[in-house]
Amino acid sequence: MTFLTPLLLWFLAAASVPVIIHLLNKRRHKTVQWAAMQFLLKATRESRGKKKLRHILILTCRALGIAALAFAAARPVVSGLLGWGAGSIDTVVLVLDRSTSMELRSGDGQAAKRDLVLQKVRDAMAHLGNPRLVLIDSASGKAQEIPSPDVLPDISSTAATDSAADFPALMNAAAEYLSSATGRSEIWLASDLQQSNWLPGDERWAAVRASISALPQKPSIRVLSLTGDSAPNVSMKLLGTRRSPGGLTLDLELVRSEEARGTLSLPLTVNTNGASTTESVSLPGQSLRFQRQIKIKDEAESGHGWLGLPADGNPRDNSVYFAYGPARPIKSLVVADPGEAADYLLLAAAPPGFEKQAAERVSPAAFATFPTSEISMILWAAPMPAGGNEKVIESFLSSGGQVVFLPSSGESTDGFLGMKWGAVTTADSGKFFILGDWNKSDGPLRDGIDGSPIPAERLRGIKRAVAEGDAAVLARWEDGEAFLSRKIIDRGTLWFLGSIPDYTWSNLGDADVLLPVTQRILSLGADRFDSSYLSEVGAEAAQTAPGEVRSRADDFSEESSAETAGVFRLGDRLVAVNRPAAEDDLAIATKDSLDAMLDGTGYRLLDQAGSASDPSLSTDMWRAFLLAVLFFLISEAILCLPKKSKDEPLPKRTFPTTG
Amino acid sequence: MHTFIDSDLLSRLGSLPIESRVPMMGNVAGKHRSPHRGSSVEFAEYRKYVPGDDTRRLDWKAFARSDRFYIKEFEADTNLRAYFVIDASGSMNFHSPGQVSKIEYARRIAASLAYLLVNQGDAAGLSICTDKLHLEVPPSRRAAHLERFFSTIEKVEPSGETGLIEALHVIAEKISQRAFVVILSDFFTDTDKLSEALQHLRYRKHDISLFHLMDTQEIGFQFDRPHRFVDLEDGTALVVEPNLIADEYQVALKEFMKNVRDKAHDASADYQLVTTDTPLEPLLREFLTARLPKAKH
Repeated sequence: MTFLTPLLLWFLAAASVPVIIHLLNKRRHKTVQWAAMQFLLKATRESRGKKKLRHILILTCRALGIAALAFAAARPVVSGLLGWGAGSIDTVVLVLDRSTSMELRSGDGQAAKRDLVLQKVRDAMAHLGNPRLVLIDSASGKAQEIPSPDVLPDISSTAATDSAADFPALMNAAAEYLSSATGRSEIWLASDLQQSNWLPGDERWAAVRASISALPQKPSIRVLSLTGDSAPNVSMKLLGTRRSPGGLTLDLELVRSEEARGTLSLPLTVNTNGASTTESVSLPGQSLRFQRQIKIKDEAESGHGWLGLPADGNPRDNSVYFAYGPARPIKSLVVADPGEAADYLLLAAAPPGFEKQAAERVSPAAFATFPTSEISMILWAAPMPAGGNEKVIESFLSSGGQVVFLPSSGESTDGFLGMKWGAVTTADSGKFFILGDWNKSDGPLRDGIDGSPIPAERLRGIKRAVAEGDAAVLARWEDGEAFLSRKIIDRGTLWFLGSIPDYTWSNLGDADVLLPVTQRILSLGADRFDSSYLSEVGAEAAQTAPGEVRSRADDFSEESSAETAGVFRLGDRLVAVNRPAAEDDLAIATKDSLDAMLDGTGYRLLDQAGSASDPSLSTDMWRAFLLAVLFFLISEAILCLPKKSKDEPLPKRTFPTTG
Repeated sequence: MHTFIDSDLLSRLGSLPIESRVPMMGNVAGKHRSPHRGSSVEFAEYRKYVPGDDTRRLDWKAFARSDRFYIKEFEADTNLRAYFVIDASGSMNFHSPGQVSKIEYARRIAASLAYLLVNQGDAAGLSICTDKLHLEVPPSRRAAHLERFFSTIEKVEPSGETGLIEALHVIAEKISQRAFVVILSDFFTDTDKLSEALQHLRYRKHDISLFHLMDTQEIGFQFDRPHRFVDLEDGTALVVEPNLIADEYQVALKEFMKNVRDKAHDASADYQLVTTDTPLEPLLREFLTARLPKAKH
């Protein structure tokens, strides 16, 4: 506890006034001749004990009342970080969340949460007498000693970034630093408690807790949560890019942070290779997914650009960056024996009118010798690969390729990467297998970007096979068996489709299901060629390799650090680096999840509504002291109340009845 | 003229007689009943004749009706002798600012009643006691005696500890005939011993009246700061914070006053608690009225 006007604490001496008055009164007695001395003596003998205690309590109440008044006048504040009874601290380890979400301005729109917390920490450090301050920032994850808290807002280690934060790793770094530190220490976690940064389900928390409890001197942990009201904000996210010979398709998403009220119209600036245009985009609700086509005349051209919104609550989530290379044809490979199924698959992979898409069929036996470096997707409607085929597909997957397995007509018990087909089953006579449930927000059966659903309920199956193994099921038949499953292998993905476009199996060839599934998976496969131009802050692809030099390619900003989003030239590579997608998920870690993450550490959560008008981490306590004054005065008054006399009034006279 | 005599008051109270609650044994005929049967005008009772009785007092009419001899007895009337016992211990000197002392108030009561008694033909005597029976004025019914009575109480200077109990025992032994004993004191003494003394007087068939004199400050005990209390009787001093002991003081004082009242009641004595701020006239008027025989009022 500290005081805003400590000089007034001298008035604490006034607490002795009641005692002094009492003592002076005792000395300043008047002498009086008295007759009823025997009652005085008796009363004096009997008045000890309770009466004296009562008198002492009255004096104590008076003294404490004055003391509380003096405290209130001195404007006491309890620092949220310091707390009550904070003694001397030798080391403070400040774990600072520098993620993009920390740039969100507070409700009054004056300062970003990160700036606010730095100011509060600086003040709190001054109250503590400036112990050693060690900063572990979420961007670098490294501990560095700060010479003075005053420089905190000015150093690069506390500057804004477009990165995410990894709190299990940061806590581990803090514990590691403290393992060699001596004296009393505290860990201050300054964060907006964004769930994607804290990773509540992460297994590393157990190790963090173990590391902290193993420290020679257990540190106090104080979580400074900046979860208060924030200024209105609209964020923009780049979901993906697709290069086609005519141009570049950008999948974009706008999200409003506050409660949606009506349609919001925003100017969207699109910059392509330095040329900017501005157009208006309407945000009718909470979020909007839309596509933006960038026309590129020269198919061999490489380029970059950015899209930007006007400044709002968080200026660092208003822009996205893209880069692209020369257009290339999108090729698919159908591995199947000739037949109806192979024909339909070829048609779905390269439908008429999609001139830039090409598909080719090879038999399983010839597959191993077929070059796959230009292939985006493999449709495998044959027995599970084995031998040389197995290795080729694994290599294809690790480079980001997409492989769709379909059941083959013949029974197969072979497995591949932990997956295998179950027995082929046939629907009862006169009945069909019908899709009962599918994921409408994720996977190739998801609803369209405009919200229109895929008519998957039209699929009728006569025969089916169910993929067995550890894979995520994205669509199920009515009886719950899997129809579409996904298993991610390295950068690539394995897909399992439980029927084939053959009239003896199903009407999959009707294109209601097969075409969107094939085209969407193909699009993912094509990304492996475009993805080399896209990355996220902190990702390996966004780091410079030995010998590479980082330079900013776009004109959006001058910043060129590794924690900044933008278009960069890394040696010969051109990479558009955006903030991590998880940063746009503003879900907050709950108190229960914090309890679980920091279980046994005795942490203290200080929920400080981020507000620039309240820059301190302190709570004004004068009201509490005024209440104490009131309490003491009332207590004193109650103690001073005269006791109710239980005695009946004295009889003035009695006369005997004799006479 | 003595300051404690209010002639206007006495003239207003002159119409009220001082009655005795018990038959008196005076030495001359008077207006008070006597325990002796005589030939006064007031019929008392019939009793059977026994040899030796004065045959002149036989009721022949009763003999004619019943054929038995009855002696007709009449009450004898006599005068009343009053003894005023004034406690002149040091405590009687107490008075709160602006009020008269207890001894002064006792003077007024004693002088007024003595005047009324002598005025109606009864005798008034005086006993002053300090630590012992200090001074006595024998009862007399002569008007000239009153001046001696007044001058004696005027000279009384309270001092020392109280010898009221011993004085009452001495008085009980000394007064051979029934008398009216008026005690004026604050009774700051042992109430059990006081009870014994009152019983002693009652045993001697005296008509007893107690005027319990108290100062309002003694009862209220209102002090706003610490005081050094010096005993008026033995000079011992005590510094106390009155607020701290006020409750206990009040309890002790009330218990004491209740004790005195009960002891007076046990001895069939009149008890009057009098604070020194009480106007004298209503006090005496009530006292005298209460003593009137019931048939007369």
